[in-house]
Amino acid sequence: MNVFGFENIILIVGFLLIISGCYCLIRTYHLLKITIGIELAMKAVTLFITLAGFVNGNVDLAQSFVITTIVIEVVVTVVAAGIAINLYRKYGSMDIRNLRKLKG
Amino acid sequence: MSAIAYIAVSFLVVPLIIILINNLLSKRAAGRVSIYLAGACAIIQMAASITDFFLLSVNHLHEYDFTLLWNMEEDAEHFGVTALSLVILFCIGFVSLISVLIALRTIGNKKISYVNLLMTLILGMNGMVIVTDLFSLYVFLEIVGISSFVLIAMFHSETGLEGAFKYLVMSALASIFILTGLPFIFMQTGSLQYSDIGTNILSTGDGSQPLFTYAAVILLISGFAIKTGAVPFHSWLPDAHQSADTAVSVLLSGIVIKVAGIYSFIVLADLFKNVPVINTMLAIMGTVSIITGALLALRQTHFKRIVAYSSVSQMGYILLGISTGSTLGLVGAVAHIFNHAAFKSTLFANAAALHEQTGTLDINEMGGLQSRMPVTGFSNIAAFLSTAGIPPFAGFWSKLLIIMALWNNNSRVYAGIALFSSILTAAYFLRMQKKVFFGKFPAKYAELKEIGGSIKFAEIMLTIAIIGTGVCFPLALLYLKGRGIL
Amino acid sequence: MEAVIYICLGLMLAFGVMAVMLHSMTKSAIALAAASAALGIIMYEMGSVWAALIEISVCSGLVTVIFISAISLSNMEKKELEKVYEDKKRMSLLPVILIVSGVVLVIAAMALGVSLPKVDHAANVAGDLREILWNNRQADIWGQIIIMITGSAAVVVLFRERD
Repeated sequence: MNVFGFENIILIVGFLLIISGCYCLIRTYHLLKITIGIELAMKAVTLFITLAGFVNGNVDLAQSFVITTIVIEVVVTVVAAGIAINLYRKYGSMDIRNLRKLKG
Repeated sequence: MSAIAYIAVSFLVVPLIIILINNLLSKRAAGRVSIYLAGACAIIQMAASITDFFLLSVNHLHEYDFTLLWNMEEDAEHFGVTALSLVILFCIGFVSLISVLIALRTIGNKKISYVNLLMTLILGMNGMVIVTDLFSLYVFLEIVGISSFVLIAMFHSETGLEGAFKYLVMSALASIFILTGLPFIFMQTGSLQYSDIGTNILSTGDGSQPLFTYAAVILLISGFAIKTGAVPFHSWLPDAHQSADTAVSVLLSGIVIKVAGIYSFIVLADLFKNVPVINTMLAIMGTVSIITGALLALRQTHFKRIVAYSSVSQMGYILLGISTGSTLGLVGAVAHIFNHAAFKSTLFANAAALHEQTGTLDINEMGGLQSRMPVTGFSNIAAFLSTAGIPPFAGFWSKLLIIMALWNNNSRVYAGIALFSSILTAAYFLRMQKKVFFGKFPAKYAELKEIGGSIKFAEIMLTIAIIGTGVCFPLALLYLKGRGIL
Repeated sequence: MEAVIYICLGLMLAFGVMAVMLHSMTKSAIALAAASAALGIIMYEMGSVWAALIEISVCSGLVTVIFISAISLSNMEKKELEKVYEDKKRMSLLPVILIVSGVVLVIAAMALGVSLPKVDHAANVAGDLREILWNNRQADIWGQIIIMITGSAAVVVLFRERD
């Protein structure tokens, strides 16, 4: 049993990427960087799906999952960028510290 | 295809046709007609789900598979309707109808966009309950998420955009968790269809590890919990409800959190019956949600925020019902889904009425409105008595079923907490009722009148539904017992 | 095959961390595009040929264009960006966290004896993706159609300037 076989390394790198993406999502103050964090995490998930298909023998099914995930990723990016631009038009800056109207 | 299939296909086809009509007509014609088309779609959906329910029970079928527009191989993934999904489809149609009735008054000139987004939201939710595969469940979950963000942000108001952005961030986190859990299951079973997972999970015959299964289950539960608004992931829920237009808040609280979250939990609890950790986690999340939601609702001064925290609390009840794992608990949970849809829609319809007539939703500024707005006041009383679980209103029966299921399951502590928090529920609603409808009448509302038109019709219809369901519930229980389900 | 995969994994991680920690948004978007390209190469090496193609053309291309157009609609000077957002300082913990969690994960993997279910690689004969996508996963195709309709309705609502 080889712990350092490349599948395990892919798993570990994938987890590191997801941690980076979520960390970026939580800590940044810039609206568009939140979108970059989401994108990075979804790429890590694409890596996981491909790995699962490779290990499983069912590469084609994994490919169809990946294609659908990419379509979803694009639409989420467009909507997030749209809301960010609208917020920029209202407040003049992309800082999320401006969003303090809702409390409680 | 048989009659069941033709009717079941309409769940996906009717909203698509309405989107086409909506966008192909000219601007002016579409502006006048589109909202009535949306109402027609909601009514067609309710009728279709009732018809299919009776057709299923007459033919003694448990579920029925069908395909849309082109046929597939034998063991490929089909769409399928079961009795449970038909009940949820009926709730979807019902709450959409209420939303359309409210939108007739409150949405000004963005009717075409509203109808487009409402149709895609309905398509997403219908899709979620009729697929038989975990990945397709995720795809339709994303459709529901995107439609709801844009619905919240529709009016480009500052609070609307802020609420939509917070919801988007939490929802993206949820999608990441769910999508990370899915490949771990895929690795072990080779496909993500419901029928394939149930038999293969936790089998350690070929050296696959239960570690991955546990990791996948925990990730999936966390992801769906964010979507449900269960504690500790509930922070987006009050902001999203408060900042959205009332027609959209009805949809969010009435069905989105339930279909996107609770239905997924029902699916998970069914697929992973053999994994012991699920039921405990659901029960703990449920109990904490009930208490936290109720306690936080006591401090709020904005009408819609009180209602939003009450949603968090009620979701806890439904989670407790699912966590028992027994049929009685599941029936109680589904009944509570329908009852919650009814009384939460009433509360939001009242919020729309109050906002239209007084221009504010701060309960400290209102008072003594019972004399001027009797219909709104009475429907509010009916809604909150149903929430608190007082007979003969509908909420009493579903809460009773959940508490009985917990008692039978030897979870006496959970049953006790569920019973006790009815008092908390009554407390925060009484506070709201007192401040808004009883008490002193401020002078600035001297010319206040009752709300008219479609919102009044919605309130009356909902009050009749709440009282009617409460009175006829024992008949439904007898019917289920006759069919051998209970 | 394995050497290429290791190199690309390292590149992907490096570009990902750069995308998170850089100040300038355009450089961040380009780092993300480079990470997509590395991911595409990994996917090609593991047998998913079609998916690698779509990943590179859509994620490295389309999404980067969307980002850059969104960024150019809201640009800011670099000095101002650094002062306001302080991204390097706020995110400076990231490499430390990554190294720590990497070590934790490796130790956990060795301790728990994690091993993925191994499959005979000869069985990875590339079947036909098109058949599977169109014959077996009808719900996904309807899902994609509906999500594109939703995306276009969303763009109409969000980007319309006047009422």
